[in-house]
Amino acid sequence: MTDPKDLTNRPNLANDSDQSIDFSMVLASTVHDMKNSLGMLLNSLDELRTEHGSTFDGSPRFNTLQYEAERMHNDLVQLLGIYRLGEKKLSAHVEEHYLPDFLDEHMARHAPLLQGLGIEASIEAGDITGFFDADLLTGVLNNTINNALRYSRSKIRLTAEVRDGYLVLGVEDDGEGYPESMQHTGTLSFKSLDFNTGSTSLGLFFASSVAGLHREGNRTGSIKLHNGGQLGGGFFEIWLP
Amino acid sequence: MSESSYQADAFHKLTYLVIDDFENFRLSLRQMLRACGADQIELVGNAKQAIKYCTYNHVDVVLCDYNLGEGKNGQHVLEELRHKNLLRRSSLFLMVTAETSKQMVMGARENQPDGYLTKPINRAMLEQRLITLLDQRKALLPINREIDRENYPEAISLCLQALPRNPRHKTWLLKTLGDLYFRLGDLSHAAKVFDDVLQQRELSWARLGRSQVLLANRSHDQAVANLKQLIDTHPDYMEAYDLLADGLRQQGKLSEAQQVLEQAIVQSPNALLRQKQLAEVAEANQDIDAAADAWRRTVSLGTHSIHDSADHYLALGQSLSELGEDEDNAEAVEHATEALEILGSMEKRFADQPTVGLRSRIVQCRVLFGQGQHREAEALHNSLKAEFDSNPLIDPDTSLDYAKTLFRVGRDGDARDLLGRLAEQHSDETELLKRIEALLDEPVGFRQKLKARNLTRDGIKAFEAGDLTAAAAAFTEALVVVPNHTSLNLNLVQVLLKIYEADPTSREPLEQCRARLDRLQGLPEQHRQHRRYIALSQKLKGLTA
Repeated sequence: MTDPKDLTNRPNLANDSDQSIDFSMVLASTVHDMKNSLGMLLNSLDELRTEHGSTFDGSPRFNTLQYEAERMHNDLVQLLGIYRLGEKKLSAHVEEHYLPDFLDEHMARHAPLLQGLGIEASIEAGDITGFFDADLLTGVLNNTINNALRYSRSKIRLTAEVRDGYLVLGVEDDGEGYPESMQHTGTLSFKSLDFNTGSTSLGLFFASSVAGLHREGNRTGSIKLHNGGQLGGGFFEIWLP
Repeated sequence: MSESSYQADAFHKLTYLVIDDFENFRLSLRQMLRACGADQIELVGNAKQAIKYCTYNHVDVVLCDYNLGEGKNGQHVLEELRHKNLLRRSSLFLMVTAETSKQMVMGARENQPDGYLTKPINRAMLEQRLITLLDQRKALLPINREIDRENYPEAISLCLQALPRNPRHKTWLLKTLGDLYFRLGDLSHAAKVFDDVLQQRELSWARLGRSQVLLANRSHDQAVANLKQLIDTHPDYMEAYDLLADGLRQQGKLSEAQQVLEQAIVQSPNALLRQKQLAEVAEANQDIDAAADAWRRTVSLGTHSIHDSADHYLALGQSLSELGEDEDNAEAVEHATEALEILGSMEKRFADQPTVGLRSRIVQCRVLFGQGQHREAEALHNSLKAEFDSNPLIDPDTSLDYAKTLFRVGRDGDARDLLGRLAEQHSDETELLKRIEALLDEPVGFRQKLKARNLTRDGIKAFEAGDLTAAAAAFTEALVVVPNHTSLNLNLVQVLLKIYEADPTSREPLEQCRARLDRLQGLPEQHRQHRRYIALSQKLKGLTA
């Protein structure tokens, strides 16, 4: 079931002595394993919900289980992404995508939890196409939507539009909004992460890195975090040139 | 999602095949498909069953896990289904994977699936993805049908009609259009498709396509520059490495081509055709260690692949036989042993192919001789000789390899006779003649070949620097290793004539020239160096008259 760990296939990871341990490789390959296990776990949760729909919908404990498993899974995907970013092996393979389809597929992934939490989701994307790397954006949106699910009261909204020559994808919720300290515009550097606060904003760093990998001419992608929007809660935007 | 009853109806009509080695996952996918409205769903646990099922049944949608445990993986299944024409272009093949970076893991050079499904998968996702792909299939069916019929002009005109009407599938249409023009050899229209895209935006697939057109137009420098930049910005774009290596090969920059392929293989080691390309380039570079490594991996990746071939085993056996030669040490013995093992497995695995036994024995013969087992080698040689004497229709590749063995076991005369006959029979095949000439020039192991080539390079450098004495010395030393090398003999003659012209008091250089040119007597007219040989012979005649 698990894909071969491409990270372990790299001959240059073998160090000069058999005893020395390349910790980043061990970490990466373990993360890969955990990610696959969580994938199985999430599948089982989905099945349980399908089989016992009425019992589990609205059960806070079951929803927490699913939300947290999803969150860990997203974290691990990001961790692998950041590993590749560090290895300079991550680049954006930009193609033209049809936004309504792309956003529909994303919302579909979160359908079970939306149902469980009783949250109403809407998508607003005109008949537009945009240029981006779908895999990288998937990582960012999964994480952001999952986050919005956690903080929203009853609604989330996914949007896509062209603004000032940029494609802007937005994730809005009707929750409390981001705390002052997290609101931010532009790109994040690795140094700006605070590993002491508990919330490292690694997800934001990943989102910001993915945005930064998208370039066109001298324009670069970026993220914006603020509050308000149509739903009045947290409002995440990723701007792609 | 509001059209779910219409969709359920669409799902209901189609046939599905789920391939996964985990029963849980098979069952769970079936349940999801059923919930979408599907009904005709077959579940299988391995590649063999999958291929058998597709042989006797039509499948519209294949959902195949990439990793199927031991044996064939999802990519192998896809390749085999496409190769055996068991899957129509209008069917859908979806690769299910836990991996988010597809390029690196699969890294296939061809045969891409119609889509990927990244785990974990839930019903809503599956439904959404299938709806998108089925819509696309429906919209593009007329085009795919013409491509299946190889009616490319019609497919092109359909693409052109669809482009303004169908923004949703614009990328597919443009890629297909560029590809179709390219297949038809209409390079200027292909270039225009990619240029138009690139003018709007720098997209890697369009840059790759543009480079491919440049290469086909023989604008090697430009193609190589384009591809280098593409890799610079997209170090994980495997197809760009492959194409760059092709370009460098065509430029004659073989060692650079080898480096590029080695880089690609570090990142994506599982593509058989890439390993094979590396093996061939390393061979051309006389980097036999690297060639043997790459052939080893090619052979091993072939175990479950449709691209598996006796040729890979043979090439590995040949590389190992070279490594086993010329040196009398434990490593050489190991290589020779491995060569015999590989040839043995080749005979077993490809027992149904008629020439495999003969080809195997040709290599075995020189390996045994190299290991000092002269009696066994002699016995094998006798059987080979009998076979060649009785069958004049043996193909040129096999004959060339036999000539190599003849040289190795010290039967130089027989080897030259064989190659002479071969050259006569195939006097209009330039590629083959080149290979015959190369073997006649350098009928020695790769270490000696390298030694001779290095000395030749030194000689040329000295000549260019005006140091005629050093040049003559280097060429003379090289000729000790490969005495019959045509261009090398002519190089020496050229230098010696210059030495004589600079100081005509000694006639010694002229005598040496005579001896070198005598060696080349009987050089056939079609030889690439023939004109040079005649010119230098006449010049010498003029000086000695």
